[in-house]
Amino acid sequence: MEIVRKVNNKFLKIKNKNKKEKIDIVVNLFFLISTIISASFIIIIIVFISVKGIIPFITDNNGIGSVNIFKFLTGDVWLSGTAFKSNLYSVGFIIVNTLYIALLSLLLSLPVGVLTALFIAKVAPKKIAEFLRTVIELLASIPSIVYGLFGSGVILVFVYNFADILGIQSKGGNSVMATVMVLALMTLPTITAISEVSIRSVGKDIEHGSLALGATKTQTNFKVILSSAKSGIFASAILGIGRALGEATAVSLVAGNAKSGPTLAFFETTSTLTSTMLEGLKETTGIDYDIRFSVGIVLMVVILLTNIILNYIKKKVGNVDVK
Amino acid sequence: MINKVFEINNLDLFYGDFQALKGINIDIENNKVTALIGPSGCGKSTFLRSLNRMNDLIDICHITGNIEFEEMDIYESGYDVINLRTKVGMVFQKPNPFPMSIYDNVAYGPRCQGIKDKKVLNKIVESSLKSAAIYEEVKDRIKDNALSLSGGQQQRLCIARAIAMKPEVILMDEPTSALDPIATLKIEELINDLKDEYTIVIVTHNMQQAARISDYTAFFLMGELIEMGETNKIFTQPTHQKTEDYITGRFG
Ligand SMILES: Nc1ncnc2c1ncn2[C@@H]1O[C@H](COP(=O)(O)OP(=O)(O)OP(=O)(O)O)[C@@H](O)[C@H]1O
Ligand SMILES: [Mg+2]
Repeated sequence: MEIVRKVNNKFLKIKNKNKKEKIDIVVNLFFLISTIISASFIIIIIVFISVKGIIPFITDNNGIGSVNIFKFLTGDVWLSGTAFKSNLYSVGFIIVNTLYIALLSLLLSLPVGVLTALFIAKVAPKKIAEFLRTVIELLASIPSIVYGLFGSGVILVFVYNFADILGIQSKGGNSVMATVMVLALMTLPTITAISEVSIRSVGKDIEHGSLALGATKTQTNFKVILSSAKSGIFASAILGIGRALGEATAVSLVAGNAKSGPTLAFFETTSTLTSTMLEGLKETTGIDYDIRFSVGIVLMVVILLTNIILNYIKKKVGNVDVK
Repeated sequence: MINKVFEINNLDLFYGDFQALKGINIDIENNKVTALIGPSGCGKSTFLRSLNRMNDLIDICHITGNIEFEEMDIYESGYDVINLRTKVGMVFQKPNPFPMSIYDNVAYGPRCQGIKDKKVLNKIVESSLKSAAIYEEVKDRIKDNALSLSGGQQQRLCIARAIAMKPEVILMDEPTSALDPIATLKIEELINDLKDEYTIVIVTHNMQQAARISDYTAFFLMGELIEMGETNKIFTQPTHQKTEDYITGRFG
């Protein structure tokens, strides 16, 4: 009898345990399925774009001839020859344009954003800081088309007049400068918001340590607080540059869509990978349509590489080699 | 030579409506170690912070009475607080090195005072690290991040950082409470060495520590100074019953 009871007990235990484990398994399965769904969408998109984008290089494009990938990646004219008859496409100069513009916009938005963040987190009175924080959050959530409209309505006019004063005839203000300004404006809220959080989370003890050494508030802010928050500031820069690289709508409205380049001069028209993809996408077919997907592959690779490089630098700069 | 570095008269300190210090009268003697003891919340840290005006950072804090440092009232309007803090250094309860190299930590204070000459800075850093008895341990890794040091090393680095300013006084708020016994012993030895050159005011919860390292002891209770005197006397024949109760551990 004793043995029977023991066996019975054990059996019950296993049965109970199994029930709970079963729930666990079901729940985990649910998580897994969700993950697979979202991951597979990303993969489907990448595969779709890659498959489409690779067509111009591996088929003869209905008799036009295949696109030379080396020339495509290094050339300085978007399309040599007549549309729908030529296979001489290239994005080399557009890659340069894109990186150049993203970098310049970051050069503008990062210092302004970090200083604003410092002001909000450390200098402004509480109420004003609270107000500014709300404004920044609002600005960050404005859709890019609105920035684009503001860019074409206000910034283009400003740039045109500014160039005029300098005696330069710009194409209605469409230029590197206008694009950089629009992108800087767009990325500013993101950079400010994230930097502000990381500045605010720097420990009071470090701040007090600095003040107790006879450092002024300003010295403390710049020498200790900023350097303690640099990892978060860097993260904000990465997000900012990601947005600058990937923004299409607003850029198309102010870049001028230059067909050759690269454009380094501030008042010349330019083009980015995204604006090139977007321009005329709906009105074209054949090779001229497919090639935009090739540009899409280039854009994805550029963004990926930029992220890898920036993350590597971030690790070097922001991390502490604790032994 | 002034014998009293600090002279505190009728110091009342309020956080909003709450009175944290009540009518404190103390003189802090030159080149001596003064220990502040008392139960938690009695106002030791508050008192310490009022000596280098770190209380200024707390909005709701205000004081009456006066604190004279080298015969100047430090709460008089127009008094140079920055200058005060370069002369009255502070070491905090939790080691708080800046997230930068060991060298930069020590050089930070002098740099803020405008010293840029590499040779001068090198000298200051080396001598400060030596005075804080940490030089030997870090001399080969002076460019490493200070956060890679152990807690005890970090605290000695913070002391080095304070020493680099060549202060008159070093205030220490429970500098060993976050450290193990060996690191604590090192800091205590260090304090013993430092008192030839510096005036030290130290808050401690450790009665043995107060007895070991201090020349004078002040006993605080609920914002009041109950008794102050030579450490020997306080620990062997205190005047007040409450003092005796506290140091013998019979106190709540
Ligand atoms: N920033 C502050 N705002 C309001 N009240 C405070 C503040 N700092 C301290 N107090 C109050 O002042 C009193 C004294 O605090 P203090 O930190 O000086 O005590 P302490 O003796 O250092 O205690 P402990 O031994 O726990 O460190 C306490 O009642 C505390 O609640
Ligand atoms: Mg305290």
